[in-house]
Amino acid sequence: MDDDAMWAEALLKDLPGVPAPAALERRILADFDRVAARRRGWFASLSGMVWPGAPAWQPAAVLAAALVVGIVAGSAVPLEDTTEQAATIALDAPPSFDLGEAS
Amino acid sequence: MFDPDTELVKRAGQGDRAAAQALMARHLPKMMTLARRMLGRQAEAEDAVQDAFLKLWTHAARWEPGKAKFETWLYRVTMNKCYDRLRKRPGASLDEAAEVVDPTPAADAVLANAELGGEIEAALQALPERQRAALLLCHHQEMGNIEAAEVLGVSVEALESLLARGRRTLRARLGHLK
Repeated sequence: MDDDAMWAEALLKDLPGVPAPAALERRILADFDRVAARRRGWFASLSGMVWPGAPAWQPAAVLAAALVVGIVAGSAVPLEDTTEQAATIALDAPPSFDLGEAS
Repeated sequence: MFDPDTELVKRAGQGDRAAAQALMARHLPKMMTLARRMLGRQAEAEDAVQDAFLKLWTHAARWEPGKAKFETWLYRVTMNKCYDRLRKRPGASLDEAAEVVDPTPAADAVLANAELGGEIEAALQALPERQRAALLLCHHQEMGNIEAAEVLGVSVEALESLLARGRRTLRARLGHLK
């Protein structure tokens, strides 16, 4: 290091730092929140309204669980027996053609 | 190349606020000091730093580790934001300013002296921007020549030339100190 370099080093090394005001930190974090919200997209915005503060996976997991429960319940619970009723309706219905007329 | 910021940048890109806060806590003081010394005006320095962090937030999700050291990139962004503001000043031209030494410190710099305690700040402000940047990065932020050259987007030889001219000018003005 030459003489000028050593002189500059000694002069500038100890210059005090400039503290960042708290208001600037808040502005920077507010920018982060805006960018993050824009990146998350519509689903996260919607889930944020329904379930504020939760990460997006929580409402997504609840919706998925509800879907699974619905499908399992729908396939496991036996349907009411409607065979007899369907047969009665078929017998009560008027014939769609008349064999006697045709001959 | 190990970069201690990679994980935080990745998490910030995924929307992790705590990671963003950690990045800010780690780098904001240095960026603020650099911008304030480059611009000599508190409000402008705050705006430049805020813009630099905004760029960080919008690029964090696409950050590619290993391509560049994060801190070097952030310094470069901050420096460019400072240059943008210097260019916008009435009558300012970075190219002209790079060659011409202003003999009188700006009024803002004179006011800033009161808070920064002295002639050093005024003498720095009177230097051409690139010389000031080179001196601040190498002697105040204690950055190596290769990294400082990368921040400024110049060759190491060009950086050394800026440093030599900056030191000479500064010493001519402040030779009575130290």
